[in-house]
Amino acid sequence: MQIRLNSRDIECDEGMTILDVAKENNIRIPTLCHQEDFPSEARCRVCLVEVDGKLMPSCSTKAREGMVVETENKNVKRARHMNIELMMSAHMQSCFVDVKDHALCRIVAEEGIKDIRFTPAKEQVLDDMGRAITRDPNKCIKCGRCVQVCRDIQNITAIDFAYRGHHSKVTPYFDKDLHDSYCIKCGQCVLSCPVEAITEQDHIPEVLKAIADSRKHVVVQTAPSIRASLGESFGNEPGTLVKGKMVAAARKLGFDRVFDTNIGADLTIIEEANELIERIKNNRPLPMITSCCPGWVKYAEHFRHDLLPHLSTCKSPHEMLGAVIKSYYAEKQGIKPKDIVVVSIMPCTAKKYESAREEMKDDVDYVLTTREFAKMIKMHKIDFDKLEDEDFDNPLGLSTGAAALFGATGGVMEAALRTAYETATGKTLTKIEFDQVRGIEGIKSGDIEINSITIKFAVAHGMGNVQELLKSYKEYHFIELMACPGGCIGGGGQPIPTTWAIRKKRMEGLYEEDHNLPLRKSHENPVLIKAYEEYLGEIGGRKAHKLLHTKYFERDL
Amino acid sequence: MQILEKTGMKAWNKAVSMKPDDIINLIGEKKLIGRGGACFPTAKKWGFAKEQESDDKYLICNADEGEPGTFKDKFIMENNPENMIEGILIACYTIGAKQAYIYLRREYRYLEKGLKKIIIGMIKKSGTDINIEIILGAGAYICGEETAIINSIEGKRGEPYLKPPYPAVEGLFSKPTVIDNVETLANVPLVMFDENWNPDLRLFSLSGNLKKPGIYEAEVGITMGELMKMGRPDGKIKAVYFGCAGGCMSFKKDTKVDYDVIDKAGCMLGSCTVIAVNEKNSIVDMAAVIAKFFEFESCGKCTPCREGTMRILALLEKISLGYAKPKDIELLEELSIVIRDSALCGLGKSSTTHVLTALSNFRNEFEEKCR
Repeated sequence: MQIRLNSRDIECDEGMTILDVAKENNIRIPTLCHQEDFPSEARCRVCLVEVDGKLMPSCSTKAREGMVVETENKNVKRARHMNIELMMSAHMQSCFVDVKDHALCRIVAEEGIKDIRFTPAKEQVLDDMGRAITRDPNKCIKCGRCVQVCRDIQNITAIDFAYRGHHSKVTPYFDKDLHDSYCIKCGQCVLSCPVEAITEQDHIPEVLKAIADSRKHVVVQTAPSIRASLGESFGNEPGTLVKGKMVAAARKLGFDRVFDTNIGADLTIIEEANELIERIKNNRPLPMITSCCPGWVKYAEHFRHDLLPHLSTCKSPHEMLGAVIKSYYAEKQGIKPKDIVVVSIMPCTAKKYESAREEMKDDVDYVLTTREFAKMIKMHKIDFDKLEDEDFDNPLGLSTGAAALFGATGGVMEAALRTAYETATGKTLTKIEFDQVRGIEGIKSGDIEINSITIKFAVAHGMGNVQELLKSYKEYHFIELMACPGGCIGGGGQPIPTTWAIRKKRMEGLYEEDHNLPLRKSHENPVLIKAYEEYLGEIGGRKAHKLLHTKYFERDL
Repeated sequence: MQILEKTGMKAWNKAVSMKPDDIINLIGEKKLIGRGGACFPTAKKWGFAKEQESDDKYLICNADEGEPGTFKDKFIMENNPENMIEGILIACYTIGAKQAYIYLRREYRYLEKGLKKIIIGMIKKSGTDINIEIILGAGAYICGEETAIINSIEGKRGEPYLKPPYPAVEGLFSKPTVIDNVETLANVPLVMFDENWNPDLRLFSLSGNLKKPGIYEAEVGITMGELMKMGRPDGKIKAVYFGCAGGCMSFKKDTKVDYDVIDKAGCMLGSCTVIAVNEKNSIVDMAAVIAKFFEFESCGKCTPCREGTMRILALLEKISLGYAKPKDIELLEELSIVIRDSALCGLGKSSTTHVLTALSNFRNEFEEKCR
């Protein structure tokens, strides 16, 4: 098929949109409401082009044989500029003065718009209750991307459009605060927002204050998936492993100790695999469902009270490590637990909420997202690319390949199966990669024989898939659920943009990390073996339970 | 009036003895076009839906008459609802739908009881298993737009969505759906039955500065003077508005009221609504009142309509109060053009027709206010 694009004849395939064709041919068309991996709703009217003399949104207009398209003529520019001006008049005008790094402001700069001919819109109240996500209606341009993600991918619809005309706004149901709603804080909306109207709550100032306080011993831990995504904020390819540089940067920022959440992940696996074996032995509720993902946990607490007994009582890895730091590590180092500040760098906005939960609020003090951590590094003018690789601090820095997998969907399952199989049977696995649970398919399942019992397991990621899998959860013995598409590598705290292509690359980075490590099974982690001997006692024992396990509550809608 | 001629189920009896394709051909030959304003040939629309293979198909009768100054559908539903319902049955039979909805404007809910009674009686008489349900709109103007009606009946937010897919292919509950205006459907039995049916007769809703406003039946192509004469002008008429969305023209006695002529003047005849405005009224004030309507009724989906209609209103109020400068008129014009060219749905696109036509016909009134 051939179309005429900006007076050039261009070959293209059937079914492509004008935007696709333009992208392939390096013709720039600005877009705002269009997001990769989603059908276009054509709300923003910024990607308009002239098609046979009529303005059409290029994101949703399919190429037709012989079509004549202009992307930069007078009509197009007039409409595009006016629509951007209208949007800017509803968006925070301060952005115009001090250009922020988000899509709308970038477009304003690219288009060379110098003046807005309309008066600013009336100011609205900020929604910043709770500790996870902040909504700023003053910045919202109603592009609907967050609504699309929350509805179509997550199937939660915690936010949607309300009211109409210029009074319309994106808000939780009944105009509640996000904090009071059944929002699961997964932060997928944050990833999709082109104007930073919906963001994670900023905890950088509090962390900086703690670092500056000489009486405090500030410990930082970094999540498994960060090492494969942090580099993106500094221009690296997605999936580049930047573990060494990340540790060096954290030291430069002034953290007293840099630990690895991966060891927490190993600990989780040891406890969780043990819990699974116990549940099967003692006829306790099956399937057991993982509880590492606070987004999924919050979903269950709101919508599926019947599943709460099925949730593993294990805390999530960073909470476990936080608890160990404030007990075992504190005792060993002779530091009072109240003088220790634990900061977790997580790919997640829900972890911010989790760390503020009443029953776990002592374990981890602050959670920063990958983006916030990158912002901190940039704030301190650290040249990330030039940093020399450094290693995590001892003793809580040694981890296994199994823990690295935690960051990707299916990883917890794979790690748990490695440990459960070997500890229950006493045999060694010949092939430790479980290909059934790898990859980006929404719902994955398989089975394995342990001591002549066939254990059936399933994995789902993205709340839409999770809800689909839960329709038939009774068939399985063990289920891993992650709220974000792709697992933590696609988490709500990860660098923007996060698309499926990028998620896949990050996932490959983690598989590479697992492959490269000498130890690849959690129960072989020598630090933890020693910790159980010295302090924690028996696996799943009384002390372990007190420190490493938690409970869940029924919450209203 | 032609439209009040009752066929008393004779057209239905004739229709069921025919093949659906023959009905479509007959309607096509007699040149029945949609009366909702878009003038799409009804036979074509039905043909598309008929060809779709699907277990479920739907028919929606659009009785959400929201255009200010239009009240012809109300007139039909008050005086000859039987024909409309017969038309619905024939349409259902033709396209193969088992379920029809009448999307009734909430302001017309006093008609609901009567309509229900007639529906029950007529379905009994016809002996079909077609079900007709009345759904009350919630009062939004945008829900007269066909994709917004679909969203509304599905229980979603009343917002239009991007076509294609067209409703005839994938509409209500993702099934082939035909959406027809009340007047179109009320004409169907007449087309089937009456040999001398005149395709050019329309119901004109006349209002404004007239002594006898109301519904008048006339052929398209009637001159403006004759049309006004029927409504008895009150004072000297200077402009006519074709509803809020149709724009305005200066009143000239021998202008033909005909789709092509009105189109060429930058206006839209649409559903044949004519609002007369006499010399005592200011066009700027008219524009501000109409802009208020669109600002209130915009659904907020696309940027130009959501933010633009509000800015148009602000500019017009500024002009009307005499605070504006000539450059505000330029901005008003540019903004109006952009909204016309880039809004998502018909409502948005037509929301500034009245400003643009007022600016081309009565620019002096705007300029006077800016001195």
